[in-house]
Amino acid sequence: MEVYRSKLKRRILLLSILVLFSAFLGVYDVFFQTDISKSGIFCFQCGLTTAIAIIAAIQIMRFKGVLSNDEKLKVQFNKENDERLRAIKAKAGMPMLMVTSIMIIVAAIIAGYFNTVIFITLVSVALFQLIFGLLVKLLYMKKM
Amino acid sequence: MNTKIPDLRKERKISQEELALSVGVTRQTITSIEVGKYTASLPLAYKIARYFGLKIEEVFDFSEYND
Repeated sequence: MEVYRSKLKRRILLLSILVLFSAFLGVYDVFFQTDISKSGIFCFQCGLTTAIAIIAAIQIMRFKGVLSNDEKLKVQFNKENDERLRAIKAKAGMPMLMVTSIMIIVAAIIAGYFNTVIFITLVSVALFQLIFGLLVKLLYMKKM
Repeated sequence: MNTKIPDLRKERKISQEELALSVGVTRQTITSIEVGKYTASLPLAYKIARYFGLKIEEVFDFSEYND
């Protein structure tokens, strides 16, 4: 359990760096990027970094709560290593789905600087496959 | 697959949470195994059997594989 505890501490550190980086990007965008601030792609990037920062902050608070209580730590460890949940995620194709969705969103951001239609299409594809993956996961959770 | 886990738990007054915590899974997984929705892996079946101090075949019903 000590290995898992240090793993969670490492995660908190990484998430804190992510929050700080997002905050830095936010400040930089507001004060130094005024010329492109009206473009849709810029707004999307701002929204994305804000969402990532908020999710990271929530995760940090959750992990801190888990670290302060041994029973919560064991439950969290079991949840992450539960064989049924792992089987459900694998059946729903979750690991690969996350990788492809992130790649599509990165591609969408890059494409967004050249063509808005491609940007909207790629973001829609990423959202659709994430929602579909989630629905399949929920279906398997009911089934298994 | 049928199991004797619910009976063994009732006999020994153990909750699903306690069993799940001891064998390293979630409570939902224990529920799924008990109702036959999910078949436990060999290591998990071994852990559950060892928790009750029994052999795997004394906890899980393998009669459907006897053919």
